[in-house]
Amino acid sequence: MKENSTLKKIAILVFIIAFIFFVYMAYIAKAWSYLSKDPKACINCHVMNTQYATWQHSSHARDVTCVECHLPTDSFINKYMAKAKDGWNHTLAFTFDTYDHAIKISDDGAKRVQANCISCHKSITSTLGANADMYHNFMDENVENGRKCWSCHKEVPHGKVRGLTTTPYNLGIKEVN
Amino acid sequence: MKMNYKLLFAGSTLAIGVMALLAGSVNERETERIALNATPIISEKDKNKNESWERYYPRQYSSWKKTKEGSELRDMLKEKSQLPILWAGYGFAKDYNAPRGHYYALQDNVNTLRTGAPVDGKSGTMPTACWTCKSPDVPRIQERDGELEYFTGKWAKYGSEIVNSIGCANCHSNKTGQLTVRVPHLNRALVSAGLPTFEESTHQEKRNLVCAQCHTEYYFQKTPWTDKEGNKKIAKVVTLPWENGLTAEGAEKYYDERNFSDWTHKISKTPMLKTQHPGYELFKTGIHGQKGVSCADCHMPYTQEGAVKYSDHQLQNPLDTMDRSCMPCHRESETKLRGIVLQKYKRKDQLHELAMDNLAKAHLETAKAMEVGASDVELKAVRADIRSAQWKWDYAVASHPAFFHAPEETLRLLAVANETAMQARIKLVSILAQHGVINYMAPDFSTKEQAQALAGVPLSKLVEAKKQFKATLEKEWHKQAIKNGNLNISSRKGLDEAKTSYSK
Repeated sequence: MKENSTLKKIAILVFIIAFIFFVYMAYIAKAWSYLSKDPKACINCHVMNTQYATWQHSSHARDVTCVECHLPTDSFINKYMAKAKDGWNHTLAFTFDTYDHAIKISDDGAKRVQANCISCHKSITSTLGANADMYHNFMDENVENGRKCWSCHKEVPHGKVRGLTTTPYNLGIKEVN
Repeated sequence: MKMNYKLLFAGSTLAIGVMALLAGSVNERETERIALNATPIISEKDKNKNESWERYYPRQYSSWKKTKEGSELRDMLKEKSQLPILWAGYGFAKDYNAPRGHYYALQDNVNTLRTGAPVDGKSGTMPTACWTCKSPDVPRIQERDGELEYFTGKWAKYGSEIVNSIGCANCHSNKTGQLTVRVPHLNRALVSAGLPTFEESTHQEKRNLVCAQCHTEYYFQKTPWTDKEGNKKIAKVVTLPWENGLTAEGAEKYYDERNFSDWTHKISKTPMLKTQHPGYELFKTGIHGQKGVSCADCHMPYTQEGAVKYSDHQLQNPLDTMDRSCMPCHRESETKLRGIVLQKYKRKDQLHELAMDNLAKAHLETAKAMEVGASDVELKAVRADIRSAQWKWDYAVASHPAFFHAPEETLRLLAVANETAMQARIKLVSILAQHGVINYMAPDFSTKEQAQALAGVPLSKLVEAKKQFKATLEKEWHKQAIKNGNLNISSRKGLDEAKTSYSK
């Protein structure tokens, strides 16, 4: 059994190294910050600099952070499921460099944001909803259905033009060094 | 349960391998992020050359360069022919133009007949202090030679050193891009007035104070000092007279307490004061200043290019950028606002002319009184009136747009100036009568030529000497500056042909 005990020692040693490496990985990737709601976690890498900068100068910067619009707010479980899913997709996209420079929100993401618009701006949207239910022509194919709030409120909250070149002088992103 | 150590070993090894690759990727991206977020640093060696900033701040640089478009040359001595009389015996009687774009600031300083025609570094009429507001090379030399050494000697001493016009490094840090002031005279003045220093001020106030480095009233304070080798020298240090407050009366008191005069008037022998351009002081008393609007809000309005927002560095008349300068706050039409500004200008101009006429006549009538035997004792009160009146008139108009920045204060100063000049003239009527002169009429000064003749300005001689200087020493200065690496000749485009009051 001597051979087996050497293997056991080596295997445990390698596992410990792997574990330490994992902690190191979590550290350099600032993994813990993704459990918070701090918007700065969203610019740990540079991809979201423009979104951060435009949000920071918008009316929503005072009270609402990134995740309060972009993640489900109905339950803790849904929120962390979405966080995990986005986290996985973002990690893949960033690691393998598969994202576009003018980033567009996914359908799933858009649904969540829409739900959050409605949940905060309840009194205004309930009137809109009631009117739409009574008067909107849902039968006509030529009338667009299912439009989102920002189809009209185009500049809320990230401005009209997106991409790194549109926010070259924003000092806000330099808060995180 | 029996552990499968082979599997643990293989799994852990594989995990280490994958994580090593990932860690490499994460660290590489972190380096990228830091590089992307870093503020560009303009090297110490090149920061005083404005072109060095172009690469990192292209929009700010190209809008700054557009100050070249503000090239109109208005000969103020021609427009207001009283001026050579008021400034007889002083440089301004020789040549005085309305200010142009910052692009020309340095060249206009070299071109004006006031700075004379030196033939080497030690000749000429003016002190080094005349460069102070013209170039980012000034703080460079102050930092290199010491402030007192900089303020010692003749203007021509630094002709080959000060070669870049007012630009980036006058107001911005080369390391952070933040607003900064490198010349120490502003903070000294703020402290003497009991105000917060530049560094202690709010960002909004800094957007005034970078302008207040130059757009203020100042004089050259004679300051004896001893250099390292023990040589006794006298520096002429730019000093703002703010100790008694940032007002015309406060500064007048400051000068009176020191028995200071800029020059003795050639016609009336009055110990005179010359106001420089108290633009900052007057602006602060006006409604925009009191409401917390800053210079940059109107003169450097925020500009949108696509979705990029930046401050327009083409410092110019806000009436040329009304949609960005005025309309963000005012709800009236541009035409209406423009009309209001014009009305303010006309109101000022009427009193402006009246005060100048009375002042010019007071000088000429004093000369007549001297001619017919009036003594200095008899003329003491008259001269005190003339000094005070001309100071207040000059304070009101020397910073050209005060009629808009602070209309009430400008009109008040002009009214007081006119009244005091009239008091002098009333006294002169009685003095002249006592010496047998009744109904004396001052000679005509309704053209620049007549006025300069009365003021004894040898214009053609001055122009000849200046042209000689421009053909010789000025050229040498540029050669030297290029050799020392302080000047890119490309930055002088169009400056050799820049208009002057004496060019044809």
